[in-house]
Amino acid sequence: MIDSQATESLAEASQRSASHASLSKRMLTNPTGLVAIVLLALVVLSAVFAPLLTSHDPNTASLHDVLDPISGAHPLGADSSGRDELARLLFGSRFSLAGAALALAISAVIGVTGGLIAGYYGKWFDSLSQWLTGLLMALPGIVVLLAASSVLGPSMWMSMAIFGVIMSPAFFRLVYASVTAVRSELYVDAARVSGLGDSRIIARHILTVVRAPAIIQGAMVMGIAIAIQAGLEFLGLGDMTIPTWGSMLNDGFVSMYRAPLLLLWPSAMIGITCVCLTLFANAMRDELERSSTKPSRRRRRAASRAAAFEHEPVERHDDDERSREITGEELLRVTDLAVGYDKPDGSVSTVVSDVSLTVQRGEVHGLVGESGSGKTQTAWSILRLLPDGGRVTNGSIVFEGEDLAGVSEKAMQRIRGKKIAYIPQEPMSNLDASFTIGSQLVEPMRVSLGLSKKEATERALALLARVGIPEPKRTFAAYPHEVSGGMAQRVLIAGAVSCDPDLLIADEPTTALDVTVQAEVLDLLRGLQAEMNMGMILVTHNFGVVADICDRVSVMRNGRIVETGPVRAIFRQPRHEYTKALLGAILDEGPARGPLASGVTSQTTDAAAASPAAGNVSEGALK
Amino acid sequence: MIKFIVRRLISGAVLLFLISTISYVLLYLGGGDIARRILGQTATAQTVADKAHVLGLDRPLFVQYSDWLSHALSGNLGESWFTGQPVTIAITSRVAVTLSLVLGATLLTAVISIALGVWAAVRRGWVDRVVQFISVLGFAVPGFLIALGLVIVFALNLRWFKPTGYVNLTDSFPGWLATVTLPVIALAVGGIAGVAQQVRGSVIDALRQDYVRTLRSRGLSQNRVVFKHVLRNAGGPALAVLSLQFVGLLGGAVIVEQIFAIPGLGQVAVTATSQGDIPLVMGLVLATAIIVVIVNLVIDLLQGWLNPKVRLS
Amino acid sequence: MFRWKRLTAVAAVVALGLTGCSAAGGDSSSDTASQTLNLGVIVPATTFSAADANWANESPYMQAVYDTVLKADPDGTVEPNLATKWSYNSDKTELTLTLRTDVKFTDGTKLDADAVAQNLLRFRDGVSPNKSLLASLKDATAVDDKTVKLTLTDSDPALLTSLTQNAGLIESPKAFSNKDLKTNPVGSGPYTLDTKKTVVGTSYVFEKNTKYWNPSAVHYGTIVMKVYQDPTAMLNAIKGGQVNAANTPNNNSIDEIKASGFTIVNGELNWEGLLLFDRGGTMNPALGNVKVRQAINYAFDRPALLKTIGQGYGTVTEQIFPPSSVGFDKSLDTHYTYDVKKAKELMAEAGYADGFTLNMPSSAFFGTAPFSLLQQQLKEIGITVKYTDPGNNFIPDVLAPKYPAILMVLQQDPTDWQLINFQIAPKASWNPFHYEDPKVNEFIDTIHHGSKADSDAAVKDLNAYLVDQAWFAPWFRPASNFTVDGNTAAVFQTGNAVPYLWNIKPKS
Repeated sequence: MIDSQATESLAEASQRSASHASLSKRMLTNPTGLVAIVLLALVVLSAVFAPLLTSHDPNTASLHDVLDPISGAHPLGADSSGRDELARLLFGSRFSLAGAALALAISAVIGVTGGLIAGYYGKWFDSLSQWLTGLLMALPGIVVLLAASSVLGPSMWMSMAIFGVIMSPAFFRLVYASVTAVRSELYVDAARVSGLGDSRIIARHILTVVRAPAIIQGAMVMGIAIAIQAGLEFLGLGDMTIPTWGSMLNDGFVSMYRAPLLLLWPSAMIGITCVCLTLFANAMRDELERSSTKPSRRRRRAASRAAAFEHEPVERHDDDERSREITGEELLRVTDLAVGYDKPDGSVSTVVSDVSLTVQRGEVHGLVGESGSGKTQTAWSILRLLPDGGRVTNGSIVFEGEDLAGVSEKAMQRIRGKKIAYIPQEPMSNLDASFTIGSQLVEPMRVSLGLSKKEATERALALLARVGIPEPKRTFAAYPHEVSGGMAQRVLIAGAVSCDPDLLIADEPTTALDVTVQAEVLDLLRGLQAEMNMGMILVTHNFGVVADICDRVSVMRNGRIVETGPVRAIFRQPRHEYTKALLGAILDEGPARGPLASGVTSQTTDAAAASPAAGNVSEGALK
Repeated sequence: MIKFIVRRLISGAVLLFLISTISYVLLYLGGGDIARRILGQTATAQTVADKAHVLGLDRPLFVQYSDWLSHALSGNLGESWFTGQPVTIAITSRVAVTLSLVLGATLLTAVISIALGVWAAVRRGWVDRVVQFISVLGFAVPGFLIALGLVIVFALNLRWFKPTGYVNLTDSFPGWLATVTLPVIALAVGGIAGVAQQVRGSVIDALRQDYVRTLRSRGLSQNRVVFKHVLRNAGGPALAVLSLQFVGLLGGAVIVEQIFAIPGLGQVAVTATSQGDIPLVMGLVLATAIIVVIVNLVIDLLQGWLNPKVRLS
Repeated sequence: MFRWKRLTAVAAVVALGLTGCSAAGGDSSSDTASQTLNLGVIVPATTFSAADANWANESPYMQAVYDTVLKADPDGTVEPNLATKWSYNSDKTELTLTLRTDVKFTDGTKLDADAVAQNLLRFRDGVSPNKSLLASLKDATAVDDKTVKLTLTDSDPALLTSLTQNAGLIESPKAFSNKDLKTNPVGSGPYTLDTKKTVVGTSYVFEKNTKYWNPSAVHYGTIVMKVYQDPTAMLNAIKGGQVNAANTPNNNSIDEIKASGFTIVNGELNWEGLLLFDRGGTMNPALGNVKVRQAINYAFDRPALLKTIGQGYGTVTEQIFPPSSVGFDKSLDTHYTYDVKKAKELMAEAGYADGFTLNMPSSAFFGTAPFSLLQQQLKEIGITVKYTDPGNNFIPDVLAPKYPAILMVLQQDPTDWQLINFQIAPKASWNPFHYEDPKVNEFIDTIHHGSKADSDAAVKDLNAYLVDQAWFAPWFRPASNFTVDGNTAAVFQTGNAVPYLWNIKPKS
């Protein structure tokens, strides 16, 4: 488990750095990002090539051109000293940008180095720098700059340098957080094991992780620095010997009513630059968000594979006597379901297609496959709770005779919980850490069932007791982080059945749990299902679990069902290569699964001890 | 809890001491000929020397500072060199003005940016883009330009509000509203951008949390989940930004108070630092630091309330 | 942007700014006694202690709560006030003042000769920026209840005028020991400071003194002096009707204010231009050469400078004495007409055909235009100006002295004697190199000790000599503008930054 997790992390890391490589490309295809980059480039280029763009000297005053309007000689007019406004604007860009860049460089150097050292090596440097960060952030910047300028005189460079120091916590915090997060991640350990030195670990992993957020932060800092520069000039603390946007603004203020355009040019320049910097940062963050969200990764992987395995016939097993015993009415019929996600370019990436399955009352239908095979997507699409951008692109989902596609969101809300309930995979993340367990149980019951607070509380306590929680009252009042994972999963099960659903969708309900609790939770589920005569879809990657409680099983791969049929038939005669491989993998995992895979009834005691779930599985398989 | 507060207060006191020492030394070094500055251009050299002696400026730095410190510890921050007003009175009489501006702006920022942020995060698409663009604009346009624009349009042309001045809330509520509205808006506009972005981000993050799906799977509506659960969880980061915002607004008040001629701390800050009115600047530095320490403490307590995991014990 | 504030911060008395004053918005009804005057001022009161009092922009604060021994009318003529009569001895070293007997301080104490004497001595020994006004005061004694005798170390031609200014403020002796002396004045003036309603540094509220001995000088029931340190805020306050009149020190917004329907009361108080401090050439040898100084004077296109920097509000001048002075000579204003060729010739004659470098201080509180234009004009005759910005230490650095020449706006004092001791005399603050010229010293001596006729002639000669010797390079006298609304009238006070308080009245 650990190994696979470590590999996964490494893969993720390399993918992250790979995504950086393409980030710049994607920034260029993002319309906002492109506009921002182009405009910023124009501003920078006009500053660099200022002497080519104007023949005027930005500092040459002329008594006879004072406040000249726009003319051939002065394309943007002349300021209160008769200096050419265009020349001052262009050369002003040089100083304003350089000043902001100075602030940025200083804050980045201090913040990044400090963050790296504090985050990676910790110790006294950590506490000291945390304290200093707190101190810097506790000071209102402009007041410090006011004081500093009264001490050091009106120097733009000095102010910007000081401002850089003031802003350094922005980088410090970012780097520090990333470094501590990364440090605790396993791939750094793995890298260390593989003999990489500290500096290479930092360079390879941490810096690549931090790079993009740091660029975002940098764009913001730069924008703020430009605004602060202008603010200081506004307060009369500017250096009048050099042309800057701020000094132009100040000059414009003086003649505000006589030559209002003089205010416009520098304001526009400051505005455009700051807007572009912010847009740039936003676009970059959007791109990062897009590349780091899990669904999209899964999506991409699934999509690419789905493309490779299209048009594969489904292996169907006929009902056997056990599956024929289930005579409940049909609850759910999924026909030719396809699920897709909208991509930014307008196309749709399909992650599930041609999925058909039925669930009858009292039946447990297993949905098996490795992660990314589309099981969970199928489950979510039945609840109509697909993540952003996801939707059913084909097929139908008929629940109790009603096609859910035609059901309003309001009606869907009445179906969720009361008719179809859901048990998630990861117990901790599926409870809201900010609310007590009790309130999270009571709230849906009050909404869905219309119970009073008292009734709901009583029912919740009863449910908690039913799912095997020893001290219901205590757990009721506890926050999620105060209970164990197994307890939390029981709470989620209690929550799922709290509104008497007809169909229960359990998405890998035991995967995140200790092996010791897995069996108990499965027992509980099976018990509840039988007791309440629910239909159930059990999503799992574990054939052991399938064997234990499922009546029927569908094997999924790359978003499609490859084989479906009664559980016994599949175990006995897997037809599809993939099913065979999965069953074979169980065999490889240990002796306990061996008998199952081959359908043999022998079992070993030590295997049962090692894996109670597997033990139960064999039992179930023998029923 | 109490232990936590006490610990924070002690570290706050250390912070105050350090800040005051650094400030004093810097002000002293940068002060130049303060007596001349106080007296202006007409005074003779002898007059200037007399004044310096009266103010004790002819003593060594260490003596001046320890003198100031010992008085400060007994609650006496001295008198302003430029108005003769006791510093404690100068500050206490103004702190309420600035706080009412800054708190008002923080509140406005919080309300609007939470609304915008949630809206953008939940709707995404064009709403998201519009909200982003508006907030980017607010962020990018220098505050004093916004302030001046507000004055010209709403005070000078439409005459809805007063262009300058401040009326105490206790004297007249309509008067207070007429003087305080524009400055509060001017202060808030810039901040809304940042906080709305932050709220948007945290709401998007929170919306991606597994528990959102689970809660919805139990029949709760999207809105209910967003407003009860998501907001509470997004509240932590938003609060953190708001607290930074608050500190930033204390700085922003400097410019806004100047434009609206509002008798707050910011106005005094500009005057006092440019004049080199050391007693007053020191008082201001202390007041600001105390406010910041208290605000941060309150924010941390709120964070604990919002997120039981970090509840302080 | 914060030019005024910083200016006043550095030079509290510089008379660049005016106090805005205004009558109560809207309801300037006929009932004068209950009317409110909202007066915009650009500096807070440094102190209300009479002994340390400031003047110029702060004069309205002082005139509201105190009486001065004497009083100046708008053109500077000295008139009776607390003192009804005054007389000098023959060598003008003893001044005897006869006081009114019907004046009481607002604490009920009677204002008598002893109170006046004490106040004069306290001012001499205090820390007012203008304490040198009484530098020649040896002693002041009460001869009887209503007679004060001032003994002087030397005659002081400006003494009577000084007694109309902060040197003549009389505070109740009972208040001398008050702890809140600086913020809670006790005088005999037409108004009292309402310390409860006052926000120090921002707005000062004065209520009419109902027992004032001279009711004809009280025009308002309440005066609120509002401090606007930012010119934009002041402009907005004027346009928003929050003050009925106000100060507009930089002339940039005058057109806008006029267009909004306000009246400008103006006069000329200052001169703007260069002070060529280093006439001895100790720091910059070139300035020691009179031809270089003259060349500098020829280098300026004064009408154009007035138009661009002063927005045309003011008068071009080449002398530092104001038109109100006996030494003023209109013809001197065309002594150096703009002539670059002539300037270059003079430079060449002085041996600086290739020019030289001149270090000067710049300061944000004059705006950038004067400095960049100055630089430009001098460049044309070969002088390269290098600026240093001393920030808040502008005045201290200038007077240290750290620069051979500066650009400045300086007050033209109401009396020639004050002006001479401020800008010309060997010990004058604004002669920081303490440059002496025997001829100048001779003129000054005659002005000091000569007969009225001799003195007047000497002032004229001194002025002509200084222009010829190019001690300064004045550009113009900028108009000092005082804005009043339709309900208010004001009269400009010669030699002061703002009209005197009793000259600001409701329009009849």
